[in-house]
Amino acid sequence: MHTHALGRFLLLAAIAAVALMGAGCVTVQPWERGRLADPQMRFDENGSLTAYQAHWLEAREGSAGGSGVQGGGCGCK
Amino acid sequence: MMRTVRALLSLAAAIAAVLIVVGPDVVAAPAPTAAPAVEWRGADGAVVRLANAKGKVVLVDFWASWCPPCKESFPALDVIQRDYRARGVDVIAVNVDERRKDADAFLAAHPHQLLVVFDPRGESPKAFKVRGMPSSFVIDRRGEIRYTHQGYSQGIERTYRRELDVLIAEPVR
Amino acid sequence: MTTLFALAATHTLAQNELNVQFHQFQDTRGVTVLSPTVELSQDFTDRTTLRGSFGVDAISAASDSCARCHHQGVSSQRLVGSASLTRKFGDLKWTIGGEYSRENFYRATTALTSLARDLNNGNTTIAGGFTFSLNQPTLHPLPQVEQQYASSGYAAITQTLTKTTIAQVGYELARVNGFQSNPYLRADVQGIMLVGQAPDLRTRQTLTARIRQALPADTYFEANYRHYFDSWQLRSNSIDVGLSHYLTKPVLASVVYRRYGQTGAFFFQRQYAGSPEFFTADFRLAPFASDLYTGKLVITPGAMAWLPKGSSLLVQYDRYRADNGFEAGTLTGGLRVPLKLK
Repeated sequence: MHTHALGRFLLLAAIAAVALMGAGCVTVQPWERGRLADPQMRFDENGSLTAYQAHWLEAREGSAGGSGVQGGGCGCK
Repeated sequence: MMRTVRALLSLAAAIAAVLIVVGPDVVAAPAPTAAPAVEWRGADGAVVRLANAKGKVVLVDFWASWCPPCKESFPALDVIQRDYRARGVDVIAVNVDERRKDADAFLAAHPHQLLVVFDPRGESPKAFKVRGMPSSFVIDRRGEIRYTHQGYSQGIERTYRRELDVLIAEPVR
Repeated sequence: MTTLFALAATHTLAQNELNVQFHQFQDTRGVTVLSPTVELSQDFTDRTTLRGSFGVDAISAASDSCARCHHQGVSSQRLVGSASLTRKFGDLKWTIGGEYSRENFYRATTALTSLARDLNNGNTTIAGGFTFSLNQPTLHPLPQVEQQYASSGYAAITQTLTKTTIAQVGYELARVNGFQSNPYLRADVQGIMLVGQAPDLRTRQTLTARIRQALPADTYFEANYRHYFDSWQLRSNSIDVGLSHYLTKPVLASVVYRRYGQTGAFFFQRQYAGSPEFFTADFRLAPFASDLYTGKLVITPGAMAWLPKGSSLLVQYDRYRADNGFEAGTLTGGLRVPLKLK
């Protein structure tokens, strides 16, 4: 099996970042989300796998789950 | 097991029905506070000060071209400006796009009469303590913020009209 | 199940729209699947969105399971319909929904609910959800119908890190009970070909980390990592990286590369000796690695005579190649049309 050192690093880095930032330091103001508002920055809209890809991959691979869920985007009210 | 699924689905449908019936959230009226002294740049680069509008009822709206609900509310605000100009109301649409050309592309496609000003560095939304986009503030003749709104909903135009009517009717002191 | 979470998720772009896609899937074994899907989202009030989707797969050889028995190919159809409803309560978003799919020898019914809450001025989103599915395979050519129950829950945190960076971590736990063998693939047990026998409980866990980075010049970078492990001792890692770039304002081009690798389930063997408790010939339970290359073009032409303003066209090509000899290509064409109520 291929172990993905980069993947592990990404996982740990993301967990650390989320933990640190989620601790309450607001860094981005609602009017500063111009780049974040782009559809490419969404986890659901442009998930690495679309529902269709996930469907046919599930018929070929032994693992499933973990598709992106909502979060991010323009943060508009 | 089919029965469990059916029970779950009917429960879901019942909850859904209740959720549709329950109306939209109501905007709370905050205690009046003085509007901050902010200034912007107009389309021609000239300085526009909010303080200059003192004595008039002002509707300030913060918007950006990347914000879909902001873009939906823009035409509605413009209609309000057309209808209320004669009654001494200024509608100021504060654009907070970092790239001016993004705003210009939207404005070119939407002919308007309301005053559009630019604040790419976001100083005025900070001063107004904007907590979400879009946000709007209805300011009375004395320069006090009387109503605030977050987000855009289809009924907001009527709410604006009601609020403006109240503030216009107030005696100038 | 995955599809369902994705369905719950897409609600955040609340607008009325019609999304029509046409997929063609073709693999090296000559299986061709043509699937049109139609999806409709509709805002009822400012805070309530209903979404429905309907899809048909026209399968000319349902899978290589079918291909093995029906060498001339076999026609099949898969129908899938789903509906969900999302309601906003201030910063809280609640979704409920269901999905039903039916094909020749398989039926699945799923119910889902999910919650998402924005915190921190929209800089943090926490989300969680639960799904329950009842899956019913028919042991073709026998008329016997088996039952499988799957329940799954997930939790995810999305955090804005800077004006150009956003990250998400998630965890998903699923428990599958009941019949889980592949009724069509026969394993070699002492030279006798037998329908597989799999444990009737499988606990599946998934950890994910995702990041999106906006780069200068209208370019966006994405990276996603998933680690999966289950009680059948199957483990997998997948990582994908992608770049998207707006060639001009209305034309977006994307490329994504995905690398996947998995171990086999503890009871997987090419051939079985003695009298094993569990045995399978399911290629999904064997160790292998694969590469997936995706190219995508999205065009939003603006005002055009026959298209409503804001419509977009999508063309996507996927090339999949696994080291177990399986190769496939999919081609997707799509049209997304915004619907105006007024």
